[in-house]
Amino acid sequence: MNLSRAFYISTCLVAVFLITPHTASAQPAPGDHDDHVAPALDYPSFHMTGFADVNFASQDVSEGARGFTEGQFVLHMASALSPRVSVFGELSFSPRADAGTGTPAATGYNAEVERAIIRFGQSDYLKISFGRYHTPINWWNTAFHHGEWLQTTISRPEMVQFGGRFIPVHFIGGLVEGSVPAGGLNIGYQVGIGNGRGNVISRGGDAGDNNDRPAYLVNVLARPDQAYGLQLGASAYFDRVSLAGRPEYGEQIFTANAVWGHENPELIAEIADVRHEQVGGGTTTSNLAYYAQAAYRLPVPIQLWKPYYRFERINIAATDPIFNTVPKLVGSTIGVRYDITTFAAIKTEVRIRRRDPSLPRANGWFFQVAFTF
Amino acid sequence: MSHFFVRTRARSAFLALSFALGVATPLGAQSPADVAVVVHSGVPIDNMTIAELRHIVLGEREYWPASMRVTLLVGAEGSHERAAMLKDICQMTEDQFRQHWIAKMFRADTAVRPRSILTNDEAVNVASQTPGAIAFVDASKVGKNLKVLKIDGKTPGQKGYALN
Repeated sequence: MNLSRAFYISTCLVAVFLITPHTASAQPAPGDHDDHVAPALDYPSFHMTGFADVNFASQDVSEGARGFTEGQFVLHMASALSPRVSVFGELSFSPRADAGTGTPAATGYNAEVERAIIRFGQSDYLKISFGRYHTPINWWNTAFHHGEWLQTTISRPEMVQFGGRFIPVHFIGGLVEGSVPAGGLNIGYQVGIGNGRGNVISRGGDAGDNNDRPAYLVNVLARPDQAYGLQLGASAYFDRVSLAGRPEYGEQIFTANAVWGHENPELIAEIADVRHEQVGGGTTTSNLAYYAQAAYRLPVPIQLWKPYYRFERINIAATDPIFNTVPKLVGSTIGVRYDITTFAAIKTEVRIRRRDPSLPRANGWFFQVAFTF
Repeated sequence: MSHFFVRTRARSAFLALSFALGVATPLGAQSPADVAVVVHSGVPIDNMTIAELRHIVLGEREYWPASMRVTLLVGAEGSHERAAMLKDICQMTEDQFRQHWIAKMFRADTAVRPRSILTNDEAVNVASQTPGAIAFVDASKVGKNLKVLKIDGKTPGQKGYALN
């Protein structure tokens, strides 16, 4: 499917939305109105939530900041414009290590539009959206976004680290998505087209695609009623990577995940295979990353404590032309989360990491206070 | 000295009786009423399973059949109706439910959080006038303009009804 055809299909789908008669509204229908009762919802229904965190790190081999650091200050906005149209935005402000240097002096924080999405909902079966997303081919990437308080651990798995290169974290384009009951299996799907990796492969093509081949993705998941809390998912992503002065490479990503979304225990496991092949023929290289995380909310009266452990591994093919500077990893993270209140938590964790069998381990102790407001 | 023990024992017995009356009597008398799941009369549904209800309450289903938008009304924190909803449908604590909805909106799954309703009367009024509304109310206080859903084929008051 070429880009113009995809755009044509997308436009037709939006048109179907706009001409479909809407049988219901969340606002009272004429004749039903009673002045004594406020409508269930006023439009636009703007709602904003903030997330922030403060960190401390002590490491024998420096991988990132040491001492106290301010984490990202994140603002998330959601607004229903009508019963069927919603808008979402996520802004992050990240402290810069080079603040005050250069001419003009670098600002103290980097501001970034992490997500900006408008979604049209026809039904649970069919929703269409456009915007900047966290690429929905990885469970962690779309479950926690930039809200550190939401995730049990301090750190994200390195395969989806912000600023990382293994999985394309952002995706700019359009998604068709929905879910069907499927006899209690509750099958969800997402099909997307958009700009893939940009000139810097850790970034999406915010200002346009850098080649004429859009990225495509398909994500399928199941949440069976018979096992409430279980989610199984699989994704495929196809793109062409164009870097200045280099040949073009086709990129194929296949991922799978399994999540037990309760707290006694909480289990998350994901695997991703990223393949690269030079356009026009050549050797295909395969890079594999996976992690498995377990956490357990302790029983009353110590239910505020939640210990956790994660094992993760990233294996980069020696001859991979795109990931030649992406570090390998074999690492363990062990820690505990303490929920001070419903909306704030203290976490502490130890990370033990080895980048290569020939290199010494990098050990670190980390502490975080994360909250939402 | 023995007189002292008699008086002390009598006082202890009185305190124990008072405690028993003060604590046990209200609990024994308050056999909690079933919680009815009510919807606006235009909602084209008569029966739901607990699993289907869970999808609605957790925001995983946003539309009724015929693409009618769900408006979720939940009881105020601490109310019997909310406690029954959390225990019997969501299998969550209050904190987990609130955290679930923060995460739900942050994931851009929905832009609308459940509307909190203070009283049964308010729930009945809002639900009866809002197309697509669903609410949880004391089964003895259901208004005549609302449709009471069967849950797993049972109505409130029937043996084995799931929400109480």
